Amino acid sequence: METKMRRVDVLVIGGGVVGCAILRELSRYDATVALLERNPDICEGTSKSNSAIVHTGFDAPPGSLEARLLAEARGLWPDIIESLHIPYLQTGALMVATSVEELATIESEIIPKAERNGVVLQRLAREEILEAAPYVNPRVAGGVLVEGEGVIDPFWTTRAYCENAVSNGAQVFLGEPVTGIDVADECVYVHTGGGGAIAASMVVNAAGLWADEVARMAGDDSFTLTPRRGQFIVVEEDHGVSQIILPVPNRISKGILVTPIVFGGVLLGPTAEEVDVKTDLATTAQGMHQIREGISKLVPVMAGAESVRQFAGLRAVSSTGDYIIRASAVSSRILHVAGIRSTGLSASPAIGRYASGLVRDELSLSQRNHFMDELPEYLTDMHPDEGDVVCLCRSITRGEILSALRSPLPPATLDSLKRRTGVMLGDCQGNLCMARLIDLFQEQLGRDPLTLNKNVAGSCPIAGRLPGTGFLLEGQESLELDGRDRDE
Amino acid sequence: MSELYDLAIVGAGLSALSALQAGIASARTVVLDYQEHPGGFLKAALPAPGFEEAWELVQSSRIPQRVTTFYGTTAVGLLPAFEAGEPHVLIVRQRQGTEEVHAQRVLIACGGLELTREHAQIPGTRPAGVITPVLAHQLLSRGYLPGKRAVVYGDSRYARATAQRLAGVGIEVTLVLPTEETHTAGQPEGKQPSLTGAELIAIEGFPRLEKVKFRRDGEFFDVPADTLVYGTGMMANTHWLRGSGIITGEYGTIQVNSFYQTNVQGVYAVGTVIAPSLDHAGSIAMGKEVASLLIGGTQ
Repeated sequence: METKMRRVDVLVIGGGVVGCAILRELSRYDATVALLERNPDICEGTSKSNSAIVHTGFDAPPGSLEARLLAEARGLWPDIIESLHIPYLQTGALMVATSVEELATIESEIIPKAERNGVVLQRLAREEILEAAPYVNPRVAGGVLVEGEGVIDPFWTTRAYCENAVSNGAQVFLGEPVTGIDVADECVYVHTGGGGAIAASMVVNAAGLWADEVARMAGDDSFTLTPRRGQFIVVEEDHGVSQIILPVPNRISKGILVTPIVFGGVLLGPTAEEVDVKTDLATTAQGMHQIREGISKLVPVMAGAESVRQFAGLRAVSSTGDYIIRASAVSSRILHVAGIRSTGLSASPAIGRYASGLVRDELSLSQRNHFMDELPEYLTDMHPDEGDVVCLCRSITRGEILSALRSPLPPATLDSLKRRTGVMLGDCQGNLCMARLIDLFQEQLGRDPLTLNKNVAGSCPIAGRLPGTGFLLEGQESLELDGRDRDE
Repeated sequence: MSELYDLAIVGAGLSALSALQAGIASARTVVLDYQEHPGGFLKAALPAPGFEEAWELVQSSRIPQRVTTFYGTTAVGLLPAFEAGEPHVLIVRQRQGTEEVHAQRVLIACGGLELTREHAQIPGTRPAGVITPVLAHQLLSRGYLPGKRAVVYGDSRYARATAQRLAGVGIEVTLVLPTEETHTAGQPEGKQPSLTGAELIAIEGFPRLEKVKFRRDGEFFDVPADTLVYGTGMMANTHWLRGSGIITGEYGTIQVNSFYQTNVQGVYAVGTVIAPSLDHAGSIAMGKEVASLLIGGTQ
């Protein structure tokens, strides 16, 4: 491939919720800004597989940067939800003690910590809990209500940040991994494989779980991140669950929760497992068992509930114990935004402001004359004669799918269409409509079905053309499974 | 759609076609189906050995001229009548938008969805290449190969026919049966190797499937494959009835009495929606029976 050098003022590495929130804030300034993501779509890492809660930060370590940004984010969310039309439900969270010891922990640790974080918790007696949430285990001893906690759609949030940035002039480069970083006096060169490179006056390292590896490419080994896996079980029938139900946390994590999903249904999990590799997204029999067992103590009806889907996500555990948002010791042209743990979604509005403010100061940027902070309503751009249903399980119409395919940041994979519209998320898990979706990608975007991946390179559901149909790929002598993705 | 129908049939699969052939339709009958053609989801797999009766029905059935048909039309909700004598209202989506269909009686014959590995909570990765038979048939019908080396897991006639069709296009197929049961009458005899009494316990590989893990007689073994066709059975396609008051049970199955009546007067159900384990012959037989009962003036 030809060497292609692109020049921007600021390059954000990583298209997760944090990177996209920063991109949106940066697009307020009079500068060329761009985002680089190695996957074919944004929101492919930690941001897509989590409990989707907007936390108040009541239990964050008091005095930490994390606690400060979570507190600041509380005040920013209402405007963001409104102007970007993000589905959100303020469900409140009930922390439920199942023993006298746990009740004592709430009094001695949880309530004082929440007070230091500026969050008021409301004590509830056993009877009050059972009245508000009759599905909770009747053996509950008592608990507290965290009124400000709610649930959101993490992908919608990430996409909305990103599309809003794009509508304000930001560029997005998808499917390009960072392969090397050279720090020069006047700029930073970010190499993206195959001879591609981007020269940026400033780089924001928001590479999530891989932020330590990106730092190392620039010669900075000041922190390490290790993956912690969380498995989840998705239940379609909510069995009346309308609040987030939390156990009293232990030292490692917040424990296994019951969380309503903003579009309906309930999420059970996560587990908290230290794993060796940053790609280990497998679910396990032990994990499923652990979730069901944990849940049975909180909400017994969920212990045996039918599940439509299970998944795992990985979150970053930082060697420093707090968010790492600072310039690299190697160069002030690199700003790390790393170690965002499991609270990146919740804190994203404040992280976006804080990080973009550091960039502004470093580069002396000024505000643009006009910034559009609103997005139009999503998936309403429907044409006549597109009202028929394609996704049977979720009753999603052809118009909604075509609207997503026509959007400013169109989906490049089947999973990215799934996250934009909700197709393939129902009982059949896409088996009924996937062939029709493949047809629509071809009709609308001219996408060859043999190059259309499920998600990452090498995940095409089609292995070749049938013998005798005369459509063997060029250079193919027989029907081989070809590694047909150029990104690999 | 202000017209008032005597009977609205939701679904044009085998049980509906069979009922229509047996004369269930009056002058004011409407049939609607999600697909652009009658025959149900099984149609993509036909013709197939062991499914002669279904193929015959799909080929020969002529929906009577007087019956209104809406294809590409999906029922997304049912509002039962408040009082006897009033019509039931089906909310449907079609190209022109969301519409209502009013009918004195409704026959729900909208079939089933195939169970996935997710329903059985099979652990492991989530790679490309893990599919159910309907997707395998739809890809093949479009001229696409779902894979090169497939495991077909399931012991139904449908699973066997799927294995045979995949083998027929040059895919290396291993048929794995969860039960000990061997060949039974009326089922096609495939040439592909098969394993019996093996339980699927995990899926490995990413981004494409690499191997399928099984347990048999307390021993574990792997079958290398780029494709798993998970064909263990069906669930009722009844998520669209949530909130309608129609009582459903496990796997979304609609509860009916021996006259195919649901708990709501004037609403009937037949085929896979009331018995997900039904095979095609059962659906056809049920279609005939419901026709004779409804023509016979049963309420």
